[in-house]
Amino acid sequence: MMIKIENLHASVDGKKILKGINLEIGTGEVHAIMGPNGSGKSTLSNIIAGRDGYEVTKGSITYKGKDLLAMTPEQRSWEGVFLAFQYPVEIPGVNNTYLLKAGVNAKRKHQGLQELDAIDFLKIVREKAKLVELDQSFLSRGVNEGFSGGEKKRNEIFQMAVLEPSLALLDETDSGLDIDALRIVANGVNHLRSKDRSVVMVTHYQRLLDYIKPDVVHVLMDGKILKSGGKGLALELEERGYDWVREEAAA
Amino acid sequence: MSLTLKSIRETAARAFEAQGLPTTRDEDWKYTDLSRISALLGDQWWQVAENNEGEIADLSVPELDAYTLLFVNGHFDAEASELPDSITITSLARLIQDEPEKAVELIAYQADAPLSSGVVAANSALATDGACICVPNHVKLDKPLYILHVNSGGTTHLRTGISVGKHSEIQVIEHFAGDHDEAGLSNSVTAIRLDENSSCEHYRLQMEAAKQCHLGRVEVSQQRDSSYTLHATELGSMLSRVDVVNRLQEPGARTELNGLFVASGRQHIDHHTRIDHNAPHCVSRENYRSVLDGRSHGVFNGKIVVGKGAIKTDSAQSNANLLLSAHAEIDTKPELEIFNDDVKCAHGVTIGQLDKNQLFYLKTRGISGEEAKQMLTFAFADEILAKMSNQTVRRYIERAAFAKLPNITDLEGMLA
Repeated sequence: MMIKIENLHASVDGKKILKGINLEIGTGEVHAIMGPNGSGKSTLSNIIAGRDGYEVTKGSITYKGKDLLAMTPEQRSWEGVFLAFQYPVEIPGVNNTYLLKAGVNAKRKHQGLQELDAIDFLKIVREKAKLVELDQSFLSRGVNEGFSGGEKKRNEIFQMAVLEPSLALLDETDSGLDIDALRIVANGVNHLRSKDRSVVMVTHYQRLLDYIKPDVVHVLMDGKILKSGGKGLALELEERGYDWVREEAAA
Repeated sequence: MSLTLKSIRETAARAFEAQGLPTTRDEDWKYTDLSRISALLGDQWWQVAENNEGEIADLSVPELDAYTLLFVNGHFDAEASELPDSITITSLARLIQDEPEKAVELIAYQADAPLSSGVVAANSALATDGACICVPNHVKLDKPLYILHVNSGGTTHLRTGISVGKHSEIQVIEHFAGDHDEAGLSNSVTAIRLDENSSCEHYRLQMEAAKQCHLGRVEVSQQRDSSYTLHATELGSMLSRVDVVNRLQEPGARTELNGLFVASGRQHIDHHTRIDHNAPHCVSRENYRSVLDGRSHGVFNGKIVVGKGAIKTDSAQSNANLLLSAHAEIDTKPELEIFNDDVKCAHGVTIGQLDKNQLFYLKTRGISGEEAKQMLTFAFADEILAKMSNQTVRRYIERAAFAKLPNITDLEGMLA
């Protein structure tokens, strides 16, 4: 078991957003969480990654047998949690490669491994950049500085490739991408699928799932997982919208 | 009546006597209280210190490939200096002795300037040494000119004049340094004249000792198509005030003022800049940033004046301030005076703490909270230093600036 979320309730500024999430994701599985805007999808990924400003009022998240909510965001990263941001942040003046080297070495230190030297690291970085067809020149630029929307999303997947997480959360990674960029990003993610790595895709478009085939699809609405199913569920949502799920759950 | 050195000195002395030091009642000096100078140095604060004979440490920028003019406690040290052949450099002391009419030019570079405040009047009346640098037409100096002012406390009045001829190019590094526990005052005025199509990249590195006060004035006058770039870094001194007055006199002149304050403890740093667009088609860019820790206090006042005929003026000013402590303070004010329609003038001010989204982003990549703060602080300040073309100076200032901030643990890594 990679992660187990039990009866998770959370609010933002006193407003209840999550109202009892139950979710289990096995090691090596790929899950998609779908739902209309405002259903709480991004809240869930932000809480897993450890962003400030969310109050967990009830429930628990167990990650690799540990209490995830007790960890700082950086500890979660060292333990293998990775969030690909919906809106990647621009950080002018912090070099892309330097950031990743510092991140990788902090993780290695945490694991009791020796830090990588600059040359070994550069080798890894160059190789991983090819995975998402990211030009080498991006490596020495400021983090996301002046990147286009598509380049930012590719950079997120590139970072994921370098940091080699156990649990990758892709928050609306497909939004704002044209078909070519989507194919490149999906291709990168597919390369990173492995029996040791779980992936959670948060999206409201079925389109992404044509490229990255999920094992399980969940529908998140009104702060709860209302329905779970196979790939077919995503197609049904595309066709019929979301309202029937709510009606069915209420019945 | 032509001016003589004697008459200028006397006029300046009278003006100084009448005006004294500016007080905080004066709008331009509202945030900077110069009474600390007399409290520190006594009523006769303006009197030049007796020559300190003590050993002075080598405070020069390491591995800098440059022509060097060394001034020790305000006096030119010819033996320790290395001057280029292609330009004329004379110390003010020599000029006063041999060519007083040229000394007049250096001191009275602008009709009203010698008297523009009590501080400058004192300098005009009392400056005994400095450098007079004259770059002829069509000369590109092959190495930077490095003017190092070291002091061991006490008062000095320095006057530097730089005149760059047509189509000539120069990089000048003014470095004010001290490493001592004495109280003191450095009062420096630098006048720069740029002739047609000439260019000057000017570094002004203020790294005075902790109890040294620093008063500076930079006057730049630019002719057609000339280009001026200032990199002003303020790291040292307990109280530093610099006035930059930049006049764009003819079409096509371009100026760029970059400033960085890194202050801690109880340091007080104030820059007042004024750019006068006096001709059409001139461009000005201004970027000032401050990183303030402890109980330090920063002041930035950026005035842009676009005169009546100065159509097609293109001006942009930005001032961003990062407060690392709840007790640090910044007073910042952009001032625009525009006397015609056909201009572009942008300006913006920010004051803040580190960006929460950026911090979170770094942490999700495995960077610890403390290290993430350091990275963002470094990045914020380094954006200004990245504008320097001289990498040796840039690295030197980066190391000096970040050594002041708490716990920058992997500076060398960030510099790579």
